[in-house]
Amino acid sequence: MATLLDWALVIIGQALITIGVFCDLAAAISMLRFPNFYTRLHALTVGSVGGAFVPIVGVAFIAAGSEFLGVYRWFLAGSSLVIAVVELLLAGSGSHAIARATHRAKAAPTQPIIVDKLEEERGG
Amino acid sequence: MILILVLSLTYLTYLGGLGELPPNDVRLIAKNYLNLTYNPYVKSLWASSPEAVTAIVWDYRGLDTLFETVVFYGAVLAAITLFRKVAKEKDMLQSKGMSVVVKRATAIVTVAMLTVAFSTALHGHLTPGGGFQAGAIGAVAPLVMIVVFGKRYLEDRGLSYGRLLSLRNLALTGIGVTSIALFTYALIQGGFSFIFQNQGKSLSPYSFPSYTLDVPSGGILLFFNVFEFLAVLAGFTLVFLILLGSDELLSKEFEGGENGY
Repeated sequence: MATLLDWALVIIGQALITIGVFCDLAAAISMLRFPNFYTRLHALTVGSVGGAFVPIVGVAFIAAGSEFLGVYRWFLAGSSLVIAVVELLLAGSGSHAIARATHRAKAAPTQPIIVDKLEEERGG
Repeated sequence: MILILVLSLTYLTYLGGLGELPPNDVRLIAKNYLNLTYNPYVKSLWASSPEAVTAIVWDYRGLDTLFETVVFYGAVLAAITLFRKVAKEKDMLQSKGMSVVVKRATAIVTVAMLTVAFSTALHGHLTPGGGFQAGAIGAVAPLVMIVVFGKRYLEDRGLSYGRLLSLRNLALTGIGVTSIALFTYALIQGGFSFIFQNQGKSLSPYSFPSYTLDVPSGGILLFFNVFEFLAVLAGFTLVFLILLGSDELLSKEFEGGENGY
């Protein structure tokens, strides 16, 4: 029988996956609508952290609450958590690397822009 | 024209005009493999490996896989020969690598990559995967590290041409030694065994341990997978290390000796 805790875990997981769906949708729309490269990169990171990291954590919760999976639910939950942590590390550092390289090489126009501290620091 | 060629070939194949089609009972071979790779009741024929592919690759046709490994070894050797002028040299360019954020993230993820590679090699006889696959996974780690930290950074910390070369040689020697280990053991005991023998046959009772602490350890397959992993990892890393040199270093190889004939 599924206990109250199992139900709670499954519902938390489903809520996280719903947040992920929303983030993915927002990322897809803003990827098309945002004005320049750097803001679109922000949309990309919303998609890969909010739209991938959060739902994978949700999958871990759902797996931990699904007692019909037997002992294998802990394998599922554990591997999902590991994947989520790696995803969180790599999504941020990947978009950081892209943004840094693009800004240094001046490969994309920064307009429309209000302030560019990085450029001022470099004396540009 | 191409269409006619394709259609006529299709027609010929359909009619069986290109020779005899494989018989319908070709699956008997697969059935036999599946029945015998992990069958504790027929211990004179089993390979003690729950993973049939690894059993086929390293037990039933182990000599074939040994020669595949040698072909890979020779291919990497040929690549080194082409770059022999620059292979032993450290890169003159002191690359700073990428930013500190990327460096930290890579440092953490590299550990995960190497862990996955090791477990693919060590579980090669239990789950899909094996030595070559593990080596290919593991070789991603040095590739990413060369790009992120810079080649000179790794070279200053001991990832050198000579060490990788000796690791490869050691691994290939390990495969060779493992394949005749049981033979030597049987000779000392005054018996008889085949080269590349994993488990005992009806002619010779000697076999590698098939269980370690109640876990199926696949006998000889475990050793082969680990050595193959090391050989492939070192080979790929060697090629990456040479090919990812800076332009200043590699141009020494491309400029050539003299012009004309």
